[in-house]
Amino acid sequence: MTHRRYLWVTLIAVLLAVPAGYAYVHWSKSGPGAGLYSRAWTPDPVHAYWDPDRFYESVRTLPGEFQGEECVACHQAVTPGIVNDWRASRHADPGPDRDPVYCSACHGANHQALRMPTPKVCGQCHENRVAEFLDERRYGFPSHALAMERAVDAKHFADKPKAEVASCLQCHSVATKCDSCHTRHRFSAAEARRPEACVTCHSGPPHPDDETYFASAHGRRYLAEAAQQDWSKPLVKGNYVTPTCAYCHMHGGHHQVADKTIWKFGLQEVNPNTSANALRRAAWVAVCSDCHEAKWSAVQLKGLDLERKRAWARLYRAEAVLKDLRAEDLLHPGAKQRPPYPMDMMERFFPHARIGYLDGQASAFYNVSPIERDYFEMWYFANLGAYKSAAHGDGVAVERWHSTLDRSLAAIETKAHALRVQGEAETKSLGRRADPRRLWLEGEYTEYNRERN
Amino acid sequence: MRGFRYLVVFLLPAFAVAGENPPAGKFTHAECVSCHASRDAQLIAAWRTSSHARTAPRADCVACHGATHVDSLASSRRDGACAGCHEKLNRAVAHSYATSKHATIVKLEEHEWDWSRPLARGNYRAPGCAYCHLHAGEHDTRLSVTTWRPFQPEEPSAREPVATRWQAICGECHAPRYVAEQAGVGERMVGIARMKLREARAVVARYREALSAEDRRGLDGLFNGMQSHGRNVRLGVGHQSPDYQWWHGQPALDGDLLRVKGAVAGHERRRLADRARSPAGGNVEPGQP
Repeated sequence: MTHRRYLWVTLIAVLLAVPAGYAYVHWSKSGPGAGLYSRAWTPDPVHAYWDPDRFYESVRTLPGEFQGEECVACHQAVTPGIVNDWRASRHADPGPDRDPVYCSACHGANHQALRMPTPKVCGQCHENRVAEFLDERRYGFPSHALAMERAVDAKHFADKPKAEVASCLQCHSVATKCDSCHTRHRFSAAEARRPEACVTCHSGPPHPDDETYFASAHGRRYLAEAAQQDWSKPLVKGNYVTPTCAYCHMHGGHHQVADKTIWKFGLQEVNPNTSANALRRAAWVAVCSDCHEAKWSAVQLKGLDLERKRAWARLYRAEAVLKDLRAEDLLHPGAKQRPPYPMDMMERFFPHARIGYLDGQASAFYNVSPIERDYFEMWYFANLGAYKSAAHGDGVAVERWHSTLDRSLAAIETKAHALRVQGEAETKSLGRRADPRRLWLEGEYTEYNRERN
Repeated sequence: MRGFRYLVVFLLPAFAVAGENPPAGKFTHAECVSCHASRDAQLIAAWRTSSHARTAPRADCVACHGATHVDSLASSRRDGACAGCHEKLNRAVAHSYATSKHATIVKLEEHEWDWSRPLARGNYRAPGCAYCHLHAGEHDTRLSVTTWRPFQPEEPSAREPVATRWQAICGECHAPRYVAEQAGVGERMVGIARMKLREARAVVARYREALSAEDRRGLDGLFNGMQSHGRNVRLGVGHQSPDYQWWHGQPALDGDLLRVKGAVAGHERRRLADRARSPAGGNVEPGQP
C-alpha cells in the first residue's frame, strides 16, 4: 500500500515538474533581451543589426512599394556603393535564362517594412547551403549556426553592460547573417574561400587561427602564391596548391564546420578515441588525403592528441591547486567578498568560486581573485594558443605556448604558496581572514556593471 | 556665338594646365613643395598642420607619393603607403584595422580597383586607410581624429567637428541610422573602458603612497599597461575590429583592474596582520589610515 503511494507521489511530481520546467524556460525567454536570461537585460540599439530577425525594425523614410529597377534607379544616386557592388555580383547577372535578384527580393518591396536579410531569406534560393549550415546545430557548439544563441546565453553577456558586450555580437552574428563571410552586396563565394575572410573573428588570444595558419607551411605557401590562384574554383581536390581555412573546414563548399571537430574548442579534455571521434578522424584524413598520404595524415592527427594530453596534464594540476585554495578558503577575495557570479540564483545563498569549464569559469574572468584570473588566462590563452598552433601546424608556436603553460603553472603554484602563508599568518594574528569587501564591491565600473545589464 | 568664344578664351588656361604632363624625373620633398605650394596651396597648408608634418618621423610628399610622378597618386591611396610606417609605429593601430572587414575587402580586391579615382563616394568598394583619414584628398589628418586622453572627458568643441566628419564619411556607404547606432555604441563602449580606467586610478590614488617602493613599481606597471588596453578599445571601435574591442580591450581591462585591486589587497592584508600583532591593533577597514 505504502509502495503504491510513493509511486503516485513520484508520478504526480514528474507530471507537474516537466511542464513547469517548460513554462519556466518559455517565461525566461520572453523578456526584452534574447535567450535564457532575456528578462535580465535590454538590448543596445545596435543589436538590431546583428540579430535582425529579433530586433530590426524598418526605417520609415519613404512610403510606397518598389521593385526591381525602381530600387536600383533611386539607390544608384542615394547609395552608389552598394549598387555598384550589386552590379558586380551574380545577383545582378545570374546567367542566361535567369532573372536578376533585385533589392526587393531580399529586403522586401514595402519601403516602410524593409527587412535585413537573414539566413532564412538567403535560404529561399540557396536552400542547400543554408540547410548545411543549420545542420551544424546537431553537433552543438562550437559551430557557426549556434554562435548567436550561445553568445546571449553566456552569463557574462547577460551580466555586463550591453554596450560593452556589443563587441561579441559582431562575430557571433555569423549565425544570424550570411554577410559575415560573403560581404554585402557582392556576396562573393571567392571571397569566402580565402583565409582573410575568416580572420576578423578568428584571431586574438583565445583563437589565434590567423597567426597559426599563416605561420604554418600551408599558410606560408598561401601568402606566397595566393595572387596566382583562381579563387572561383570549388574547394575540391586538385584545384588549389595549398589549403585555406575553408578548404579543410568547409571542404567542397559544404557549409558545415561542426561535423569534423574532435577537440571542439580545446576548452575541455575529450576522449579522442570514441567511435564518434573515429568517424571524425576518418573525415579529416579524407580531406588531408586530397594532397597527403592517408597514413601520414593520421599520424599528424595523433600528434594533436598527444599535444592535448600534455597541455591537460598541466591544466589539471593548476586546477587542483585552485580547488585546494577554494576548499581552504584561501582565495582572496573569497566568493562572499566580491560581486556574485552572474545570473545564478543559488549564488546569493551559496557563493562559490568557479574553477574549470564545468563550473562555469568561462564567465568568471572579471570580479575574481588574481590567481583565478591567472588560471583563466593559462586555460583560455596559453592552452588555446597551443591547441590552435598544433592543429594548424605551427610547430614553433606549439613549443612557445607550452613553455608559457609551464611558466603559468609554476607561477600559480608560487602564488598559491604565498596565499597559504599569508592566510596562516592572518589566522594567527587576526583570528580570521581580512575582509577586502569594500575594495572589491565599490568602484565606478563595478557599481555601473552591477546596476546595468 | 560670341559667348562661346569668350568661354573658350576663359577656359584656355585650364585646358593648358590639365593637358600639361607632370614633369618626369625624381624630386626631393623640397622640390615637390616649391612647385606645389603655388598650384595646391591649400593642400600643402593642410599637410603642414597635419601630424604627418609636425611629428617625427615626418611623412613628407616623397614618403607617401614616391619620388616621381609615375603612379604617385594611385600608390599613395593604397594601404601599403601607410602600413610601412604605421605598422612599425604602433602595431595595434595597424593590426586593429588589418583584422577589420574593411581591410579584408581591400586586401582581397585592391588589385581589381582603379586607384586613379579620387577617394570619394562610390569610387571604392571598401575604405582603405586613406579613404577615411585623407578623405577626398584632405591632407590634414588631424581633422579625423581626436587625441586619446583616457582621463579627460572630450571637449564637445573638439569632438563635434570630428564626429560630423565621420558621419559624412561612413554615410557615403552606410545608412545614416546604421552610422548613428555604430557611433553611439562605440562611444558607450569607450565610455565603459574609461570607467574601468578611472576605477583603477581611484584605487591607485588611494593606496599607492602606503605601498613599499617595490610594490609601488608593480602597481604602476599594471596601471600603465592598463592604459594601452583602454586605447585598444578605442582603436577597435574606430577601425571596427571586434578583437580589439573585446580580447585586446575589455576583458584585458577587467584583468588589469582586478590585478590592481589584488596588489593593493595583498598589501592591506599584510598591514592588518601587522597591526593586529602590535599592541594598538584593532579592526580597521582596508584603506583607512
